[in-house]
Amino acid sequence: MDARSWRAIAPWAGLAALVVLPLVLRDRYLVHLLVMAGIFVILSSSWNLLAGYTGQLNLGHAAFYGIGAYTSALLAIKLGISPWLGLVLGGLVAACFGLLLGVPALRLSGPYLAITTIGFAEILRLVAMNWVDLTRGSLGLYGIPPLTPIPLPGGKSLTFTSEVSAYYVILVLCLLSLACCRRLVNSDFGISARSLRDDEMAAASVGIDVNAYKLAIFMLSAFFAGLAGAFFAHYQRLVSPDTLSTAETFTILTMVMLGGLGTLTGPVVGAVVLTFLAEGLRFVEDWVKMDVRLIIYGLLLILTILFMRGGMVGLFDRFRRPAAQPGRE
Amino acid sequence: MESSLLLQQIVNGIILGSVYSLIALGLTMIFGVMKISNFAHGDYSMVGAYVAVFLMAWLPGWLGWVGSILAAAAVVGVLGVVTERLVFRPLLTRWTDIDIIMVSIGLFILLENLAHLVFGATPRMLKDPFGGAVFDLGLFSTSQLRVFCLVFSCVAIAVLQLFLNRSRLGVAIRATSQNRFAAQLMGININTVYTLTFSLGAALAGVGGVLYGTLFAISPVMGAIPTQKAFVVTIMGGMGHMRGAILGGFILGVAETLGGNYLSMAYKNAIGFMILILVLLLRPSGLFGRRQ
Repeated sequence: MDARSWRAIAPWAGLAALVVLPLVLRDRYLVHLLVMAGIFVILSSSWNLLAGYTGQLNLGHAAFYGIGAYTSALLAIKLGISPWLGLVLGGLVAACFGLLLGVPALRLSGPYLAITTIGFAEILRLVAMNWVDLTRGSLGLYGIPPLTPIPLPGGKSLTFTSEVSAYYVILVLCLLSLACCRRLVNSDFGISARSLRDDEMAAASVGIDVNAYKLAIFMLSAFFAGLAGAFFAHYQRLVSPDTLSTAETFTILTMVMLGGLGTLTGPVVGAVVLTFLAEGLRFVEDWVKMDVRLIIYGLLLILTILFMRGGMVGLFDRFRRPAAQPGRE
Repeated sequence: MESSLLLQQIVNGIILGSVYSLIALGLTMIFGVMKISNFAHGDYSMVGAYVAVFLMAWLPGWLGWVGSILAAAAVVGVLGVVTERLVFRPLLTRWTDIDIIMVSIGLFILLENLAHLVFGATPRMLKDPFGGAVFDLGLFSTSQLRVFCLVFSCVAIAVLQLFLNRSRLGVAIRATSQNRFAAQLMGININTVYTLTFSLGAALAGVGGVLYGTLFAISPVMGAIPTQKAFVVTIMGGMGHMRGAILGGFILGVAETLGGNYLSMAYKNAIGFMILILVLLLRPSGLFGRRQ
């Protein structure tokens, strides 16, 4: 087969592999890890949408994740709203908060934006900790219903309590959000967004409404994080204020930098690699009797920025096309 | 009774504020000269506090205190040089804001968890060389340790100002902060200035950490809080402005103590961020920075 037909088949083959993967693995724990990796794929891709394509550094991304999780969980517990609807509502409420944060963030950049977004997440975490009547404080919300079964013709119904069923839901959500990111990045809209990342003033001078673009992407990024959070709430069935913590954001951004900032595949690669690396390191920790996992995260983040700009995807590209790399003989 | 409580809170706020000022001065110096926003800054305070924990177990009373502060400045100063050389210097020629902030977050994760590995998770308290003695002025009272803390921060801030204004090296640092290229043309070796500034800024955070340890528990994860406070103070005063950072520290300290007492203890840590957002919306160049 020649290269072109390979390229046509590859995505379908990949999809087929993803569909049969949990059936081949037959290990609940490994499937659970895949589900978590899927959640982080959405989180890191949505963070990358903002940081990688508009250059805005949001260090409060976990806030949107937490907002989605709390929204959907509370709607299901208090009002009995279907978790399926909750997924969308969680995303929408997160997007509204994205607008709230996005408006002041328009005037900020670099360290100013970074510390403001940390503050935003920290304030929301304090609210989740202290509004005990609503959120049960640091105990967290428990007893969140799982995604409701879908009735099938013939009296049976499709339930969503097992890891494997959750895997298929998150797979669909991942594919949808990745397709959305891809379309956005390759559209005129995405080209405009990138132009304002590279030179805001030049972009404004050719008639790009800089503020509108930044806001739209801020909200979209928040929406996907909220969606991932809502799914997490109904999968884990427990949400605590930790979901809003800065540590969660730092994990997301380590994934993106490791995979490759400003690329579509980078965040996906980073999320999957780091999720499984973390589990691998748990075995190492048992072996050496030391907590080395986060030390390695920190080292990875530093080394990636110092020696591997462009992350794993960038490294792969350089390996494949050494001549195409500008500035290299 | 009410006004005495208010006075008491203000005194407590000023003491807390003096520590914030000291830590923020280090951050704002490093930003002013090198344009580095270091999100691991509070971890220098954490390391400084641990230096004190160990030295005080070793040296008795007063000697422990003076020794701790000097040792914290030295150890953290060296740590500052090491991190600047290994982590920040390679990025100096090709950085973007994102790279610098990210690499400092990597450093934050690394230092916090290394400390966790080395020192363990148990929170520790510093010994009080005055044996908990109280300094009573009738209207308000405060422990002698806190008075020492305030006096020491003020002396350190004054010495720093003298150094920056009167010594050759200090003038070189200020010149580099104002205009890097002009400073180079005047024969200033900016690489030396960079290393010196970073080391001095880190040492300030280290000493601030020892004093911070007299007010709060010391643990490997404590670094995130001084980092946040230092950024709030620095932005409030205008990034890179020394005097702004000093005043900003005191303002934040008093606002937090008053807010924590009269508004809500649970949201004490949110007060700084509220002020930050207000400042950024109303006066983005800082309360004391020049209007642009």
